[in-house]
Amino acid sequence: MRVGLLPNEGGGSYRFVIIALAIVGILISSLPVIVVTIMSFSAADNTGFPPEALSLRWYWDVIALFTADDASSAQSVVDSTLTSLLVAVIVMGISTFVCIPLAYALARGDRRIRGGMELLFTLPLVFPLVILGIAFLLIAESLRVDIGIWRIVIPHVALVLPFVLRNCLGAMNGISVEIEEAAVSLGASPLRAIWDVVIPLMKAGILAGLIFALIISFNEFTITFFMYTIDVSTLPIWMYSRTVSSLDPSTLALSVFIIVADVVLIVLVDKLIAGRASLF
Amino acid sequence: MSTQNTHLHIDGVSKNFGDVKALSNIDLKIERGSFVCLLGPSGCGKTTLLRIIAGFESASSGRLLLDGSDIAQVPPHKRGFGMVFQSLALFPHMSVARNIAYGLKLRGVSGKEQRDRVEELLNVIQLPSIADRPVSALSGGQRQRVAIARALAIQPKLFLLDEPLSALDAKLRDNMQIELRQLQQKFGVTTILVTHDQHEAMMLADELVVLKDGAVRQSAAPSVVYQQPADSFVADFLGAANLINVGSVQGGQVQLLGKLTAVDTAHADNTMMQAAVRAEHISLAPVAQAGGAAVGTIEFMRDLGPSTEIVVAVDGESLRVRSPNVDCQGLSIGTQVAVSVDPSQVSVFKA
Amino acid sequence: MSIALSRSRALAFSLPALIAILPFLGACFYIFRFSISGDKGTIDGYSIQPYLDLMTPFFGRSVWLTLKLAFVATLVAMLLAVPLAFLLTSLRSPLARRCLTVTILLPLILNLLVQAYGWILLLGPSGVLNSSLRSLGIIDRPIFLLFNETGVLLGLIQTSLPLAVFPIVSSVRGLSQEHLEAASSLGASQWRTFFDVTVPLLRPGLFGAASIVFAFNASAFAIPLLLGGRRVQMMGVAIRDMISPLFNWSGAAAAGMILIFITLIVLLFSSWLVRMTSENVRH
Repeated sequence: MRVGLLPNEGGGSYRFVIIALAIVGILISSLPVIVVTIMSFSAADNTGFPPEALSLRWYWDVIALFTADDASSAQSVVDSTLTSLLVAVIVMGISTFVCIPLAYALARGDRRIRGGMELLFTLPLVFPLVILGIAFLLIAESLRVDIGIWRIVIPHVALVLPFVLRNCLGAMNGISVEIEEAAVSLGASPLRAIWDVVIPLMKAGILAGLIFALIISFNEFTITFFMYTIDVSTLPIWMYSRTVSSLDPSTLALSVFIIVADVVLIVLVDKLIAGRASLF
Repeated sequence: MSTQNTHLHIDGVSKNFGDVKALSNIDLKIERGSFVCLLGPSGCGKTTLLRIIAGFESASSGRLLLDGSDIAQVPPHKRGFGMVFQSLALFPHMSVARNIAYGLKLRGVSGKEQRDRVEELLNVIQLPSIADRPVSALSGGQRQRVAIARALAIQPKLFLLDEPLSALDAKLRDNMQIELRQLQQKFGVTTILVTHDQHEAMMLADELVVLKDGAVRQSAAPSVVYQQPADSFVADFLGAANLINVGSVQGGQVQLLGKLTAVDTAHADNTMMQAAVRAEHISLAPVAQAGGAAVGTIEFMRDLGPSTEIVVAVDGESLRVRSPNVDCQGLSIGTQVAVSVDPSQVSVFKA
Repeated sequence: MSIALSRSRALAFSLPALIAILPFLGACFYIFRFSISGDKGTIDGYSIQPYLDLMTPFFGRSVWLTLKLAFVATLVAMLLAVPLAFLLTSLRSPLARRCLTVTILLPLILNLLVQAYGWILLLGPSGVLNSSLRSLGIIDRPIFLLFNETGVLLGLIQTSLPLAVFPIVSSVRGLSQEHLEAASSLGASQWRTFFDVTVPLLRPGLFGAASIVFAFNASAFAIPLLLGGRRVQMMGVAIRDMISPLFNWSGAAAAGMILIFITLIVLLFSSWLVRMTSENVRH
């Protein structure tokens, strides 16, 4: 093609500028992650660049950190990681459970209501996280009872709702009413038709939403930064408290584990929605 | 066809997309001021050929000679060929007038001249009062005309159309075909139109180019292509032709419906042949008047108004016959009839 | 008609999600209520004092800095996002497309700390950039890019880039190749086509993306905290400082309301712009 957004032959200066800017964008996106990964293999104690020798010592350190017997202090990395995972799984479950019926109702219901509701559920995406953090902190503090990990779960649910709902709505888009009517004409009750026909067809979108909720909650820093307590803390908070004064290479090795997990999960989401829906 | 009159010479053009051969060795000479239709089923390469002419794709090999000079390296925006796209591609963010004037604006034509030219073109397409409307407010036929006016506004060297009428309903399409042909003659512009609709091609073309699998099967005037299809594909693609297996050539002749029919001397004896006969060129007669003609049985009849569609089984083949209603008195399903054809209306080619 | 969604069933289906978002709405209201509280530490009475107390040069500078950094970061992010969206939509190989998607999306999702570490390693005094420049003999002493506006700006651009790219990708998908070819056949060069056809047709998507990116950047907290240190007092950080050392809750709430107000204005203004400029655009 010689004419296009990015022509693959000819195109002169236009093509050059577009590709150059895209490369700058890719570099800005990826350089920090690449540098963290490289430095995590450094053999040195400091984080000077370039690393003089390569080793896996920091990875052994991380493993030791997780398996040490005296990981008894409440602030330990194991507790934080487990809390992070528990919160992420609960957030994932709740947000998906509430978004599937909502997506169905919005897709099949009144168009005007749909617009308003979509806007309402997009709000957490543009709402300043700091303020949300402070507000939730104020509310949690004013409660008389200790709500344990729910003080983190509840704000996280609000935070992931936009992403999960987008994915469920995207999944509903391709499902025509006729397919439900077919099921009903064969004798299924309307609810049964939803369960037997609509939900299975939504599966890919639902799974994508699930994973999105999981990774966003697991990586969330800002709100948790306000909400954490000595008893309930997550992995990003643990990393912050450890590196607030100086950066130590074992944290980089731990970061690489997180990067790998995130990349795997994003690839999974991308596979599931495979160009049918936009990510958000 | 004299060489000076060749406007565009497509000289051995091939195009590969990876391993897929989209066009192989296309040779065409397009006369100045003529209306050429590229006709073929989807995937035959006709759109690719048009896009190569327009410059949106480059040929893998071969040359494109416009008035004798190679334009392969000229980028599409410098070719000055007006094009009407399948989706019409009117710019939705511009009014009708701005759409039509866009090409003129790029050529640095003054504002007043632009307005005059737009007005003139809107008169030509018989929509004088829509200049300031947004494109979204137009009907299908109006959009069609605006797209044509926009392409003609730049006084194109070549006028290219990529299935522009395919989105219109049947009646509107018929009217637009007549209008398009009149416009083309008025402007005298060399025109290439891509279509998969044989009626459209017959209606519009001075020269019909039938493509299949990236190769030209026949290139001739529509009446020639219709009357003397070059092969069974062309015969079949250009409408209701009966393809009849007529066995092998014996002494320069084949057996067609019980009659010996001469074939082109180029075919050697024992070559297996096929004949194409159009439904309207088969005549039916009472068996008593058979006189050596083949005898068949009527399998199906349907009165279509001006004519009757009849299917006759002869020698294990079902032939479609269309005959005027007056000739069909006394015929019904199961009747035996004598079947004959006018030899001058038969094309015989290699099977 | 048995299939049609009845009003009561629609409500029943929406109820769980409405309950889930209720705490969020409660938090929004709570902040608003606190910002007009007569007391700094609890909700007590009504007063506009918290807002009046913010009329200081310090807070004014913070607002100005926030607007400036968010604006520049949004501009640069958009400038990079459009080519990235073009690249992403024109890649043929699914593997390449997937790699690029992950590369672009990762900064939005990945733990912000990890990315801050990356920038510290890149821009720090003994980081990649300074070491490289020094070994090339271009500089003698390290240049300071961290804990100032440059570092924060880079971090903001990086983390907000995906928010720009993916909405633009959706609008680019709706753009027909034939519109570009039509412009070209009428004589427009690639650049002319870009400015005369591509940009106007993408305009609604571009404004939408830019406004979300701006809102995201204006309310950034972790990036200025981690990359700006105490020196780059964007509003997010300033608000935190009102609570953490000062316990000025009502002041923080009032500052928060101002921040929300700013993002709201930007969002409304951009949706107004979209409506104004796309009056005739109907795809």
